[in-house]
Amino acid sequence: MSLEKFLHSLGIRHLVCGSCNGCELEMNALAAPQYDISQEGWGVVASPRHADVITVTGPMSEAMRHAAQMTIEAASEPLVVVAVGDCASGDGVWCEAGSAGPGAGRELEASIFVRGCPPSPDALREGLRAAATLLDGRKS
Amino acid sequence: MASKYSERPVKQGDLPNVVDELMSDALPLGCYATQRTVRTLFLSRSGVRGLRTALDGDEKWRSLAQRYPFFSYHEREMQALQEIVVQSSPDERPLYFSSDAIPEAIVAEGKGISGVVVGPVHAGIIEPGRFTISTGGESVVHIDAQLSYSHRALEPWFEGQEALALAPRVARICGNCSVARSWAYARAIEELAGVELDDCTEFARLVLAEMERVHVHLFDIGSIAAGAGYDRGTTAALGLRERICQVNNVASGHRLLFDSVVPGGVKAGIFADPGIVRTTLRELRDDVARFCDALLAKRSLLRRLEGAGVVERPLARRFAAVGPSGRASGIACDVRAIAPYGAYRGCAFSEELAGGGDVYARAEVRVREIERSFDLIERGLREVEGRKLSAPRQVDAAAGIITTVVEGARGAESISLELSKGGRIDRLHVISAAYRNWPLVTRAMEGNIVPDFPLVNKSFNLCYSCVDR
Repeated sequence: MSLEKFLHSLGIRHLVCGSCNGCELEMNALAAPQYDISQEGWGVVASPRHADVITVTGPMSEAMRHAAQMTIEAASEPLVVVAVGDCASGDGVWCEAGSAGPGAGRELEASIFVRGCPPSPDALREGLRAAATLLDGRKS
Repeated sequence: MASKYSERPVKQGDLPNVVDELMSDALPLGCYATQRTVRTLFLSRSGVRGLRTALDGDEKWRSLAQRYPFFSYHEREMQALQEIVVQSSPDERPLYFSSDAIPEAIVAEGKGISGVVVGPVHAGIIEPGRFTISTGGESVVHIDAQLSYSHRALEPWFEGQEALALAPRVARICGNCSVARSWAYARAIEELAGVELDDCTEFARLVLAEMERVHVHLFDIGSIAAGAGYDRGTTAALGLRERICQVNNVASGHRLLFDSVVPGGVKAGIFADPGIVRTTLRELRDDVARFCDALLAKRSLLRRLEGAGVVERPLARRFAAVGPSGRASGIACDVRAIAPYGAYRGCAFSEELAGGGDVYARAEVRVREIERSFDLIERGLREVEGRKLSAPRQVDAAAGIITTVVEGARGAESISLELSKGGRIDRLHVISAAYRNWPLVTRAMEGNIVPDFPLVNKSFNLCYSCVDR
């Protein structure tokens, strides 16, 4: 296996902060044979302590704020937060609603924003590739 | 077309008897409040029946949930959003909370009982919820499901907005039941305005709703396989589901069909080439059938599904179960059959029932429903093919009060809409199938082993976003 492939493997922890589940349906599609992200060495992990990447969705609901912060804190550095979808990116349909925040990705200082309502699996894969490149650290 | 919604006043003192009576031959939809007026809703063959109960001054609401547990969420929501005090509630905790004031979980007490807490963040790509499981040895004694982590206070925010302009947001209340909810919402506006649609448009809506059912059912079947530790089945289901998402995109310009049903009709430009959709879906249908046959023939898998999470018919009835989960326990609850709407009226549709009430039955009902969906899709596309679908009709939203119900993939999805003159929203209340079924999930787990929780939970596969709102 090439060094790059090894370094670009990702443990992904997924954090839902008031999403409609549309982004989750498309994140789940990444496990379908048409995309099969396990071939990239990418997988969803069972603990934030195993995560290289935290993907976040939703505008940020009031009730999730603390758990979201704790999830980020539990992960080790280096960590890349990826905002998945328009809600997490700050201009989704719920951003002005009563208990909704300004976008989970904005609040949790995401460095990558994957746009769409929801983003397509192809767009998600590109976003995760960008996260892997950031984590690699050898290139800018 | 006359509206199929009707309501009558019922005093609170008379309500328990009236509810008892209706429970025997109508499908209960729950209750909701607008300020001090509570509406208790049932679906019968003649349409939605509302019982309107006006509460005086500081009159409290006497809980119906002791007798019919499914009212619990509905009543807690009335207390949270309309400040109606609920008396004798089996669960007095606030339904909504901020992250610094999460209510205590309810746990079982007794010798040898210990607890496990999971959530709100989970080890997969799923929505947030906190489950506190009380166990005695390997067995589950009690589960407390605390949802509401996705609560965004949408309903108060809807008030005062223009009903027509809100349609794209209604389509995004929940990604799993988007078409069904958009359809219920469109029907509410159209029925209040007295607008009727042409057959071709009605068939296009039916096809879209059935395409949504197929992709959600395939996802749910894949989730059941995952819950039983059979990853090969999950991957295959996701692969088939991906193919239907691609067809959705060709047909509607959106992989999950968001915004395809709009007030006044269907999105302009949809089904530009119904022939391609029909041909692609026919190939897909054969592959789906082969997959489902193979899955339900795998004996080691079946042994994990049979007898897990049993919901006997009387329990399902008392909890007013809906959707495939209700039908798996022998409850006739398919809105398409009980009170057909749109193009279902001409389809002689009969619902798929099973009797076992276990995870297997919930899988089997979905497998059979997918077949029926493909039949309906073929029928509908033939109606659409060769005709020109019209652009959405202009609708002038009219004032009034109505509840409409549509059968989504997970069961009865209803919209209660109260419009004032000029089509502004006085109240928009969403009751989802998942909201109706959640209390039953925790009951279905009692007496099962802890490691079967993901399996039993996934056999319902209820959404959170439309529950929490």
